[in-house]
Amino acid sequence: MSPRPRRLYMPRPVSVRAERGGRPGAVEGLAVEAVREEWLLEDLWWSPEPIRRHYFELALADGRVATVFRCARSGRWYRQRA
Amino acid sequence: MGASAPYVELHAHSAFSFLDGASTPLELAAAAARLGYPAFALTDHDGVWGSMEFAEACKDLGVRPLTGAEVTLREGAHLTLLVEDAAGYRNLCRLLTQAHSQTRDGGGRGPGQPSVTLEQLEEHAQGLVCLSGCARDGAVAGQWERGETAAGAAIAKRLLSAFGPDSFLIELQRPYWRRDRARNRWLVLLAERLGARCVATGNVHSHSRERARLQDVFVAVRLGMTLEESEPGRRGNSTSALAAPAAMAARFGEHPRAVAETLYLAERLRFDLTKELGYRYPKAEDPDADRSLVEVCRSLLAERYAGSAHRAKAEERLETELGVIRHLGLSGFFLLHRDLLELAREVAAEVRGPDSARSVMPPGRGRGSSVSSIVCYLTGLSHVDPVQADLFSGRFLNEEVKTMPDIDLDFPRDIREKLIPEVHRRYGKDHSALVAAFPTYRPRGIVRDLGKAFGLPAEEIDQVAKMVGFHERKGELERDVGAAIGERRMSSPRWRALLSLCDEAMGIPRHASQHPGGMVISTRPLIDVCPVVPAAMEGRQIVQWDKDSCADAGFLKIDLLGLGMLSAVERCVEEVGRARGERLDLSRIPYDDAETYESIRAADTVGVFQIESRAQMQMLPRTRPRDLDDLTVQVALVRPGPIQGGAVHPYIERRKRLREDPGYEVPYEHPLLKPVLEDTLGTIVFQEQVIEVAMGLAGFSSSEAEGLRRAMSRKRSEALMLAYHDSFISGAEAQDVPKEVAERVWAQIQGFSGFGFPKAHSAAFGLLAYQSAWLRIHYAPEFLCALLNEQPMGFYPPDALVHEAQRRGVRVAGPDANRSGVPCHVERRRGGLVVRVGLGYVKGVRKEEMESLVAERERGGLYEGIADLASRAGAGRAGLELLAWAGALDALVGTGSEPATLPDPNLGAGRRRALWGAGASGTGVRHAEGMQMALPLEPPETPALEPLGDWEQVIADYRSTGMVLGRHPMSLMRGELGPRVCRSDDLERLLSGRVVEVAGLVVARQRPETAKGVVFMLLEDERGTVNLVVPPPVYESYRALVRAAPFVRAKGRLERHEGTTNVVVSQLGDLDGLVSATEKAKQDPRRRTRERAAAELQAVAPLANSFGRGRR
Repeated sequence: MSPRPRRLYMPRPVSVRAERGGRPGAVEGLAVEAVREEWLLEDLWWSPEPIRRHYFELALADGRVATVFRCARSGRWYRQRA
Repeated sequence: MGASAPYVELHAHSAFSFLDGASTPLELAAAAARLGYPAFALTDHDGVWGSMEFAEACKDLGVRPLTGAEVTLREGAHLTLLVEDAAGYRNLCRLLTQAHSQTRDGGGRGPGQPSVTLEQLEEHAQGLVCLSGCARDGAVAGQWERGETAAGAAIAKRLLSAFGPDSFLIELQRPYWRRDRARNRWLVLLAERLGARCVATGNVHSHSRERARLQDVFVAVRLGMTLEESEPGRRGNSTSALAAPAAMAARFGEHPRAVAETLYLAERLRFDLTKELGYRYPKAEDPDADRSLVEVCRSLLAERYAGSAHRAKAEERLETELGVIRHLGLSGFFLLHRDLLELAREVAAEVRGPDSARSVMPPGRGRGSSVSSIVCYLTGLSHVDPVQADLFSGRFLNEEVKTMPDIDLDFPRDIREKLIPEVHRRYGKDHSALVAAFPTYRPRGIVRDLGKAFGLPAEEIDQVAKMVGFHERKGELERDVGAAIGERRMSSPRWRALLSLCDEAMGIPRHASQHPGGMVISTRPLIDVCPVVPAAMEGRQIVQWDKDSCADAGFLKIDLLGLGMLSAVERCVEEVGRARGERLDLSRIPYDDAETYESIRAADTVGVFQIESRAQMQMLPRTRPRDLDDLTVQVALVRPGPIQGGAVHPYIERRKRLREDPGYEVPYEHPLLKPVLEDTLGTIVFQEQVIEVAMGLAGFSSSEAEGLRRAMSRKRSEALMLAYHDSFISGAEAQDVPKEVAERVWAQIQGFSGFGFPKAHSAAFGLLAYQSAWLRIHYAPEFLCALLNEQPMGFYPPDALVHEAQRRGVRVAGPDANRSGVPCHVERRRGGLVVRVGLGYVKGVRKEEMESLVAERERGGLYEGIADLASRAGAGRAGLELLAWAGALDALVGTGSEPATLPDPNLGAGRRRALWGAGASGTGVRHAEGMQMALPLEPPETPALEPLGDWEQVIADYRSTGMVLGRHPMSLMRGELGPRVCRSDDLERLLSGRVVEVAGLVVARQRPETAKGVVFMLLEDERGTVNLVVPPPVYESYRALVRAAPFVRAKGRLERHEGTTNVVVSQLGDLDGLVSATEKAKQDPRRRTRERAAAELQAVAPLANSFGRGRR
């Protein structure tokens, strides 16, 4: 039996502590060492589910790189495989 | 704030980066001023199309405009070029000219991608500053994006060497894409390694964030994709909208030196586009020009006014004009125009041929304000004697004019086609070009383009596009969409999104095109003052500026316009010569012909120049023109200016009062206005009356008044108009004019807003209106023939023109392979002259096939049958079948139909047999070298075929020629309409105020901007036409029918008033059911379903012309 198909790059909710100005200060309790990149995605504005995301590529305190975004519509944070 | 702004924008696209930038130069300039930018660069893709408009707007707003462009390299990469000095501007123009030189070589519908080579760039580096290009497609950054860092570094090195370290900078951008920081780090390191400086730019694509959505859609339109498909090509977010200088400085917080560099660089770019072009026109510097013009004019005056009572007045006027011309240094300008006219004379002689009846006619005639000048009259640039016609020349020529006067010349289309390339030949391809025009988005284009981008169903787009009009008020489109596809579909997210962008898209230029006939000529190569690019039409080229920008640049623009009615009048004169052997000289016809004026007063003017529209027809019985002066006013009256300025009703009323009581005293707002408004009975009808009123009432100088007129006619008028208001009121008060009177007169001026004709222009058009009315009355068949041959023109489709002429007794015969030429012609038949429809009128046929068919007939005699035709004519099977459907082969199968002024009972049978014959004959085969003729084999004997039914014939006629010459479709439906539905001619016998029902084919629809939402429709039935007035609430209820139905029935109140008859509609319905029922009742129900007949007629019935879209 073949495995059930799985959506890649599916954003998953994540807990982020945001600093003043909106940049992430910690992701799931791990401090952010540096913001490597920061970008904006605004798309599908003509559809019932428009996308407005503020992305950050972060270097975390444990040395890992994480990509998170804040959804402008819901105000929630998500992690996404890059 | 401006002086301390931390950042200057050096990379911005306007809507002249077609389908990429989403804001006009004016919007960008206004936003830059609002945000406090001290200077701002416009760098559109491969062009300076919007640069002059931008520069002029910036100057008014206190922003220093910087000129530049983003050029595309051969391999597709971009570089930003900024102009430092005049040499740099010259180089930019030459580069852009080279970039476009190959764009029309591909033979496709649109232009190819402009591009330059690095070598061309290196040759033209002087005076230009080069930035390394944008983040995605830049010549350097783009290589990094693709991982080709070595190639990026190599290009940067080469450009650094070409432009030098002061003039080549590495461009840093922050579009908020994923790898911005990494890319900018690499670019900074590269700059350090090469010894180059970095500069920050915003790559602006819209003036506000709200406009960024439209920019997304434009990208999809440009790529021919849906929004979803175009995702990789779109910008991904709205940060390419213009932001404040401080916000931009903050965005580049990691690169403060690159931000500071924008200020240093802007300071260095001192080129001022509005001052440093160095344009000169031929003869501008001729030291003998003054003397030559004086000699020419004086000698011509002696000739023209010999023995005239006006001579002394003419001499005085000439000396005044020559003085002004000398003072302005414009003698060379008039001599150049005279040279052009001489050239036109040579071209006209060649085009018309020596024996043509047209040969006595002048090559063209003046229009516009130049007609008021006696110098123009003497040099042949105008055909109206300004002394006799009492025309005011102050608008055209005065001591204080700041821009070049306009001289517009109308030519018949065929002469104009030849004249334009001749001008290129005479003055050189580098020295002359046509002026550009920029078609802008209107509702129909918005629905079609944006609809595709939103991925909406093609059928829905089509339904909506057919219904939306050319002029739309805010919110109207939404109602049209609802009426076309229903509220439910309209509320879908995609239609909603489209509708939300309509107002934003309205008026945005979509692409570059050519002006109908404006040409610029320069002594310096034009390519040093404005880029020149190939036009879509082979052999033509355009400068990158439109007429307003050319005027701002001080270019001498000569309008060589093609005027359809001028061509029609010439064709008519030629046809009269051919059909009757009479040689007409239109300059010598009687200008007081009673029959002609009677027809004009009775609004019997279908096909007549300028006075054929429904609005004119409603007015003519009330104004009752008696002479050319009245026609001059009449032509100018139905324009938005006089209508909105409140001139129309007072003028009509005062004319009526004067007719009834010659002693009636015309009222004036103030006695000072009497001398200037006397001719128009106290109302402002002509453009120059605005000047005269401003001078007379408010004491404006002539140049101040001319400035007011220009402010009224330009796009940037509102702010300027306010400034003029204050000086008008204070000027009037200084002359003891009460303030409330001054305000009332100002309101008239403002209402006029420039959308009116100068009197001189009206005089020229009024004359042509009379000439066309005279020809229509006295040479009706030839006039109809000429109109048919000059289509498209005027307000009525050919079908309506033919029916109207038939009602006046003109006989019209269908196309006939043994009688027709390619165009329509007039032939003598039993009982008089007949207009024979040309083979070229048959839709879908190849013109060259029809030419060879006619040439072979003239060479080898009449065709004896279809096989003979197929073997000799050089027409393929498809062409023969189209001719058969049109009835053009009927005579070859033995029905021998005579002119179809009456329906021929055998017609249907003939067509079926001809179709059989065309299908069964051997036909020619087309090769690259030409047509391989068929063998003259007789087709097998035609079986017994049922004739075409009435409806089938109507449908075949509409489908093949767009005209029904036999039974009117309404006469086929009449029996089914019921007794309550009146015929058009019944209305004359019914009492005004009665409720009536009418039905007919919709010939024209009009929804003028000035009519407050009222729609006017013209219906045609088998007896004549009916005017419908559809009030706004009725329009709202029957929007789809009013906008798109080819046949309607209407119920409403009959209103008769001063010679006009209208039906004010309360209910509307379509006739689809009726068509189906008629079809069922009369035709073979075996093969044709009711629905199919109705749908076919809907599909092929001629499209009604919209009065709002005059196509002259």
